[in-house]
Amino acid sequence: MLCAVLLAASLLMAQAPVNSQTQGRGPAKGAPRDPTQSPASQSRPKSATPQAYSAEQIRAGESRFAAQCGFCHGRDAAGGETGPDLTRSPLVAEDNRGDKIAPLLRVGRPDAGMPAFKLPDSELTSIVAFVHSQMDKFAALGGGRRAVDPGDLATGNAADGRAYFNGAGGCTACHSVTGDLAGIATRYEGLALLQRMLYPAGRPAPAPPKAIFTLASGQTIVAPLAAEDEFTVTVLDPLGARQMYKREAVKVKIENTLAAHFDQLGKYTDSDMHNVYAYLATLK
Amino acid sequence: MRHTRVLFRIAALFGFAAMLARAQAVDPKLVHPPADAWLTYHGDYSGRRHSQLAQITPENVGQLQQVWRFQTGQNQAIKASPILANGVLYITTPDNIWAIDARTAQELWHYQYPPNDAFHIGHRGAAVYKDTVYLTTPDCHLIAFNAKDGTIKWDVVIADAKKGYWSTNAPLIVGNHVMVGVSGDFDNLPGQLKSVDADTGKTQWIFYSTPPPGGKEPDSGGATGGQMWNTGTYDPELNLVFVGTGNPTPVLNGEARPGDNPWTCSIVALNPDTGKLVWGFQASPHDTHDWDASEVPVLVDADFNGQPRKLLVQASRNGYFFVLDRTNGKNLLTAPFATVNWAQGIDALGRPIPDPAKRPSKDGVLVAPNESGATNFRPPSFDPKTGFLIVSAQDGYGIYFFKTDHGSYGWAGADYNLAGKSFLRAIDYRTGRIAWNHPIGDGAGTAGVLTTEAGLTFSGDNSNNAIAFRTSDGTTLWHENIGRIQNAPVTYQLDGKQYLVVGGGASLYAFALP
Repeated sequence: MLCAVLLAASLLMAQAPVNSQTQGRGPAKGAPRDPTQSPASQSRPKSATPQAYSAEQIRAGESRFAAQCGFCHGRDAAGGETGPDLTRSPLVAEDNRGDKIAPLLRVGRPDAGMPAFKLPDSELTSIVAFVHSQMDKFAALGGGRRAVDPGDLATGNAADGRAYFNGAGGCTACHSVTGDLAGIATRYEGLALLQRMLYPAGRPAPAPPKAIFTLASGQTIVAPLAAEDEFTVTVLDPLGARQMYKREAVKVKIENTLAAHFDQLGKYTDSDMHNVYAYLATLK
Repeated sequence: MRHTRVLFRIAALFGFAAMLARAQAVDPKLVHPPADAWLTYHGDYSGRRHSQLAQITPENVGQLQQVWRFQTGQNQAIKASPILANGVLYITTPDNIWAIDARTAQELWHYQYPPNDAFHIGHRGAAVYKDTVYLTTPDCHLIAFNAKDGTIKWDVVIADAKKGYWSTNAPLIVGNHVMVGVSGDFDNLPGQLKSVDADTGKTQWIFYSTPPPGGKEPDSGGATGGQMWNTGTYDPELNLVFVGTGNPTPVLNGEARPGDNPWTCSIVALNPDTGKLVWGFQASPHDTHDWDASEVPVLVDADFNGQPRKLLVQASRNGYFFVLDRTNGKNLLTAPFATVNWAQGIDALGRPIPDPAKRPSKDGVLVAPNESGATNFRPPSFDPKTGFLIVSAQDGYGIYFFKTDHGSYGWAGADYNLAGKSFLRAIDYRTGRIAWNHPIGDGAGTAGVLTTEAGLTFSGDNSNNAIAFRTSDGTTLWHENIGRIQNAPVTYQLDGKQYLVVGGGASLYAFALP
């Protein structure tokens, strides 16, 4: 009886796949500040008023800046041993064509050890141009992880990938391109498809792990696994509730199809990986 | 012959005088810790996390019972190793420190640092010196408290958090030197370890693992980074502090920083009085996978190939186990202790040789270990009786990307962990051979390790269990589900009773025999 219900429950557990594009780990643009993230991984200040400077002005500013300011603020304006990082400076962010920077340069900040600078207007403008261009360059660059474009991954050979899929890779033991993988490239693309191919963790789990109980009579009962550790096995009962068993009280074996994916990670060469990806990308 | 003996005596006398000079500065309790204390992050200077206590044994460990539970009431989990001094436990989370009675878990004082925007990834613990307790803050301040009541003595800035530095560090104290490390991977920042005066907070020296702005030394080939975010170890006889350094920046773009990039991903030996480098050993020359060599440099005095040696052993994040002669940094053994596919071999200096084919690429390379590493911050333990370094290890795979468009600032690339399996793994220091291997679940482990003279190993698994193992073979002897364990358990004896204290989730638990 118990056997029949558990089996029915395991059949009910089959889940329909849903579209789940994996995003990069960097914070989304405009996301609220998250104190568990490095300030450096969050967006930097940008020049509030867009300002256009000629490449020539910026180049001239770069050499003037290096000579006049670089000793304290670093040659790239990102800060030196004594001067702050100007690419994160709120004053620079608020400045429009020198309206905040120029007055400051003329009087300096004697209390903070910054001298006054007497510079001709053209030099001053070029320094302003360089500092804004550096601020915007660093803001665009950020320090966090970068993106992977689908085009970056298109280096494999689909025919070789198919041969690996049907042969050495052993993929057909569980998968079929006309069954579970039919149209896979319409549901996932780029990095998400590559990650799903290598190790389909997360949801939806393509085939949930099973706990196979063997009773004293020799009869076996299969139930969908909810959790396990060294001491307990938790399965879902026919009503979807979790039932925990102590391992010492039952005879149980866990069958997890993901194990084959893990083993495969140790077998792929990088070209196998790119070829199989190229093959799966054709399954539209 | 007689001549030699006289010379030897003179040398011995000089050695004795030198020891005396240092003995005034170095707290002898940190060299030979008393049973009723856990005075520093690792318990003592060696980093072995091995206790002489033997009241709890393999035979009676099954009877362990909870004595108390201290709830921090914070969202942030405990990732710290507690400190016990004068019957008071000090435990931390980012921005927070509590002083609690070690017998009853009653709160004596609590200090909460004002909100700040720095990275709150975790906090590894406090440090104590005489009547002062030290706390690093996420935004890189070091605060000194009166141990008695938690009032602030002073507060100094260790590094500029606005540039992208943050700190999780449990400081190492040698004499009156409080050595504080910082982190910072998202910006191209020089690696720095700062020593401040224990009484005044005044800066004594800064050791740079990569050159500071305008500096030329060390010649890192253009790399920044090499942060020393983990707590080091100390040998009072050699008067050397040993610290692991982190990965270079830009992190995944190796083209921007040709060469080996010293002293990133290295173990460095420093003179604590001057901050000067005495020797360095690179665990990962020219790293392009974020594999810090910040893991604990564990000091072992034992025979190696029949010779009594002063050794340093490290299970490194890159998957290799190293045995060094700590008097000079010379390599004695290099052996993988987890799944690795990134090295072509071992060079004459004992360093793995990175395989260019496994550098991050535009279309991605499949690499073992993954970024979280073959091990990480979680401290291992060395058991002298068996000669095992017991480490929370991971066999894992990740994919790594870099293209020129990713630039040369901060991460400068992308990488993703795919899968991993975790084990508590006993490495025989003599050979690097794996003596036993106990599965602890999928993904990366977070629990550190404690061993005791009774032949017990305490750690945890990835399913919130605190577990006691037999050190000789890894057999499970006791467990208790207490929440995710994110540092190593500690032990001490008070009023004749041995306590096991371990953080689980946001609570701290004490266990003892009934």
